[in-house]
This record gives sequence, structure tokens and C-alpha cells, in this order.
Amino acid sequence: MTIGLGHFLTLGAVLFCIGLYGVLAKRNAIVILMAIELMFNAINVTMVAFSRYITPNMLTGQVFAIFIITVAAAEAAVGLGIILCLYRNRETVDAEQFNLMKW
Amino acid sequence: MNLYLLGPELSLIGLAFLVILVDLATHNKNVVAALAGIGLVVPAAWAVSLWGQTASSFYGALVVDSYSIFFKLLFIAAAALVILMSVQYSKRFAPYQGEYYAVILLATAGMMFMASTQELISIYISLELASISLYVLASFLKDAKSSEAGIKYLLLGAVSSAVLLYGMALLYGATGSTKLNEIAQAIQESMQRDQGAVLPAIVLGAIFMAGGFGFKIAAVPFQMWAPDVYEGAPTPITGFLTGASKAAGFAVILRVFFVALGNQAPLPVDWPALFAVLSALTMTVGNLSAIPQANIKRMLAYSSIAHAGFILVGVAAFSSQGVGGVAYYLLGYMFTSMGAFAAIVAISERLGSDQIADYSGLARRAPLLALILAICLISLIGLPPTVGFVAKIYVFWAALQQGLLWLVLFGVLNSVISAYYYLRVVKAMYLGAPASEEPLPVSRTLVVALAVAVIAVLAIGIFPQPWLDFGTGAAIVLIP
Amino acid sequence: MLSSFGYVGILAIVALLFPIGAIITFLLANYLLKLRRPNPAKLTTYECGMDPIGDSWIRFNTRYYLFALLFVVFDVEAVLLYPWAVAYRRLGLYAFVEMAIFIGILLIGYLYAWNKKALEWK
Repeated sequence: MTIGLGHFLTLGAVLFCIGLYGVLAKRNAIVILMAIELMFNAINVTMVAFSRYITPNMLTGQVFAIFIITVAAAEAAVGLGIILCLYRNRETVDAEQFNLMKW
Repeated sequence: MNLYLLGPELSLIGLAFLVILVDLATHNKNVVAALAGIGLVVPAAWAVSLWGQTASSFYGALVVDSYSIFFKLLFIAAAALVILMSVQYSKRFAPYQGEYYAVILLATAGMMFMASTQELISIYISLELASISLYVLASFLKDAKSSEAGIKYLLLGAVSSAVLLYGMALLYGATGSTKLNEIAQAIQESMQRDQGAVLPAIVLGAIFMAGGFGFKIAAVPFQMWAPDVYEGAPTPITGFLTGASKAAGFAVILRVFFVALGNQAPLPVDWPALFAVLSALTMTVGNLSAIPQANIKRMLAYSSIAHAGFILVGVAAFSSQGVGGVAYYLLGYMFTSMGAFAAIVAISERLGSDQIADYSGLARRAPLLALILAICLISLIGLPPTVGFVAKIYVFWAALQQGLLWLVLFGVLNSVISAYYYLRVVKAMYLGAPASEEPLPVSRTLVVALAVAVIAVLAIGIFPQPWLDFGTGAAIVLIP
Repeated sequence: MLSSFGYVGILAIVALLFPIGAIITFLLANYLLKLRRPNPAKLTTYECGMDPIGDSWIRFNTRYYLFALLFVVFDVEAVLLYPWAVAYRRLGLYAFVEMAIFIGILLIGYLYAWNKKALEWK
């Protein structure tokens, strides 16, 4: 059996869904941030696989992946900063406790 | 590689860095605010000087056309109003004013890029530049509510951009390109080859992208972040979110769907119908949830969800009148919501409260302020002689021409419902008994912001023709 | 050729259903099978056989966090240098100037961090 595009895409889809599961099921804000990071990496796998198999002469997908990595790092930095600020105020990072505002 | 075309954004980013450097060097924070506000003249003038051109650069990633210039000027105007609103307000986080203004400028630059790019990588980067800046701004007060707003915005925003990216990846994989016009061509070719059959990856990609962008404009079912974030964020930033961030979301939705997925016959994905359903849901949910609200910021948050629904009517119409209506609506809505939030900033500065109950008898204490807020609320209902009226008529008319009678009926019904909760505030201000007779003074910069916003609301509403032409001129780029 | 990737969509849908099914199954199995007999020894955190000292949510010095953050941001920016370095000969002067501007922007960030005393340990 040879490894082809389908395998990478399956890996990407499964990773994406594990990340989504983490976002929906976890309660610790930092763990949610990690799950989001996993979703971004799933997209990176998909992007690079498409780049290799669909447009082997153009590196579009790989360039896209590099930008996703950088942006995700910036997002995580800001996210951790806000979580730190929140922890100073509330002494918790439990997403269930983020309930100061309710409809 | 024509850097001249990139001038408005480059000068804006340069201004942001200048603000940071000046802030490091000086202790007089008013200088920083003045620099940020007056400096906006450069990108604005540059954008005006590009008006009428149609050109693209950076291998087609950057396009300069009347559509992008329209939105660029809209964002710069919004940024200027936010800075005016913030001069007094930002004393609450006095040591960090420099960062505050710099991040506002960077968010504006991100939105401007969003309006003028037609390539998926640049769309993503510019969207994130705007979003990450807004996450920071939403949590700028650093108290419990504000940081909660920030973290909710960030977590949900990051998930939505992951979904958006997955959609982009599928679209890229199915067509082999990230440029919107090449994507359109590739879809067209594959449909011709396969007798009209469309790849499931394209359909799924379009739906994922609609979801990701739907988050940015707070369309139902992606709206749950909006009320919390709008309530917790600093009030000028709430105005920025409703006025500018939403417009940026619509600018990029129109560009992506009209250029990449709207140029084929028949359409590969029936996204106008998708947006029609989203539109009906969004306005109904937004309006019904706004009715019981006691906090005015939260009420206007739901109202802004409802307005996203009204604007989506123009997107669902899928015609040049529809796009023109959307552009005009966004322009009017930006000034209206900025005016309303400027009034709220002025009131809460003195009252220390955002509760509608505390607005009782405001007309006696601050007649002009109450009048301005009332005019803005009337514009939000959509009554003449304000911009909200013309905008709604135009968008609904565009939808009627495309046979979307049910959607228009939905919209009219919703407008009637919305009158109830807006007029409740007006009633409290004019008929309620004031808690004290003490007048509410307003700081000078806020007066300028209020005056500009309310004059725009009335002027664009009473003389709509030049502005409609402005909007339609922008629309022609997408649908000739 | 492209149509053979259509099953990506089906895969994604299946993969979306997978976590939802998993959540329900696991929660149900957990609810049905678990024994509820907690005692203090069972509830303590396992820390190499030692009795744990205090809560794991103690307040770390923010300095650690600040340094880590600065490192991550500057480190990831370095990723963007690699493609430029690989294609340097073909890109020429224009890309060099662009990269100089990019480094310049990073430098402003560095100056900012320096000025805000983020680089000092005290």
C-alpha cells in the first residue's frame, strides 16, 4: 500500500475533529487553546498535502501553512495574556465560570 | 509590485509604529491621541487619490478598485470616530493609551487589507490582523468583565477561523489555486467537464467559509459571542466592532462569494439561498433577544445582530442593487452605531451606568445628548429622515426584484418588532422622571464625534443619492 | 482527476460525527460503569509517590511567562526567514529590502519590550 493524498487528508480531518472535540468538551481555557492549536495543525497537514499532490510546482499550500503557524503563535500569545489577566481577576481558568454576562 | 497602490495601508501601519515609538518617548498621552487621530489624514488622502483606478499588484493578491476604496474610507472614518470617542474614555487605562491607539490603527489596517485582497492567504492574514487586534482591544479594561469578553471573543474567534481555514483548504485543494478569480475559473472548467456536477469539497468548503465569515458578522447561529463581547468591551471598541468589524466581514464575504463562487452559470453552490435563510434567522433571533435587555450596550449588541440580518438581505439578493444596498447600509449603519455608542460613552462617563433604567429623564439633564441618541435609535429602527430608512428600503427593494418576497416580509415584520425596544429607550429619556436635575457636561472631543456622526446620519439619509451612487459605484466591481 | 477528492467531503462529515458519537458513548459508559467510592488518598494528585505540596494552581512568577511569550513570538517569526533564505538568489534586492523592513518591525517590538522592562529579571 502506498501512502497517498487520501491518507493525509484523513489524518487532517481526524485531527481537526479531535481538536473540535477538545474545544467542545474541555473546561480549562488553556486546554481549549491547545485544542484550537491542534485544529490549526490539522489544517496545516491538509494544506501541505494539497500543496504536494495538487500543485507540486507551486508552493502555495506550504506558504499558507507557514503563515498559519505564525498567526497561530500570535493568537496563542494574546490568548495566554488574556487568560492571565482573567486569572488575576477571577482566580480561575474554568470556562464554565466565565458567566459574568448572561442573557 | 506597485507600492503606491499599497500606500493607504502602509502609511496606516507606519502611523501605528510611530504612535508606539512616540508613546515610548513621551509622557503626555494627549500628544499620542492627537498624532493617531490627525495622522489618519494621510491614509485617507492617499485612498481618495486612488479613487477611480482599477489595478492589481503583488501577483493579483492586492486589488485597488472603487469597491476597496469605498470600504477603506469607511474604516478610516470609523477609526477616526473611535479615536475621538476614546480620548476621554482612555483615561481609565491611562498608562496604556499609546498601545490602545496603535492597536486600533493596526485593526483598521487589517480591515483595509480585507477589503482589498482577492487571494485566500492574504484574506486570512488580514482577517487575523484585524481579529487579534480586536481581541486585545476587547480585553483592554483588564477588569473581570472585560477579560471575560476578551477570552470568549478569542476562543470562539479562533475556532471560527479554524473552520474558515478548513474551508479555504478544501477550496484550494479542489481548484489548485488561492486566487479568487482562478478558483472561479477552475470551478467553471470542472463543471463543464463533469456535466454540471460539483465536487463535494467545493460545497463543503463554501459552507465552512460561510460559517467562518458568519462569525465575523455575528450572524445566527454564530452570534453567541456578540452580546457578551459587546457588553464587556470598552464602549468605544464596542462601537468599532459594530461599525467597522462587521463592515469588514461583509466586504470580504461579498468579494469571496461573488468573485469565486458567483461567476459561474449555474452557481456551483446555492449560497444566495443559504444567506437568505441565515438572514431571516439572524434578524428574528437578534430582535427577539433584544426585547428583554436592561443594559443598553447589550441591547445594541442584539440590535447589531439583527442588523447583520437586514444587511444579509442585500447579499442574498445577489444583484448589483443588492451589493450597492449593502455598501450604503454599512456606511449608514457605521455612522449610526458610532453615534449611538458615542452618546453612551458620554452618558456613562457621568452616570457610571449602562442600564436603560438610569437613562430616565435624560432629556431634561442633557437635551442635546438625548436628541442625538434618539436620532440614532430612530435610524436603527429605519424611520425617515435618517439613513436607516433609505438603507432598508434600498436593500428590501433589491431583494424584491429578485423575487425574495418572503424575506422582505420577514424584514418588514422585524423592523416593526425592533421599534418597540428602541422606542423604550427614547420613552425613558423623554417621559421618565430624572434622578436629579444636574446637567451632564460632555467633553469636547466627544462633542466632535457626536456631531460628525449625527450630521452624517441625517445628511446621508436626507440626500441619499450621491451616497447611493458611491455605493453602487463600488458594487459594479463585483457585478457589472 | 479532481473528482476523486470528492470523498474528502464525506470523510469530513464522518469525522465530524465521530467525536459526537464518542462523546455520547464515553459519557454513557462512564456513567454506567463508574464506581463512586472516593476517599482522600484516592483524590490526591499523584506526584511520584510523594504527598503533593499545595495546589497545582499556585501563582508562578509572571517573568517566566513573559520570557516564554517573547521567545515564542520571536521564534516563530524566524520561520518566515527560511523560505526567504532558500530563495534568496532568485528574489534579489526587492525581497532583501522587504525582509529588512520585516526585521525592522520586529526590532520595534523588541525596543518596546525592552522599554517596558520585560527583559529584566527583578
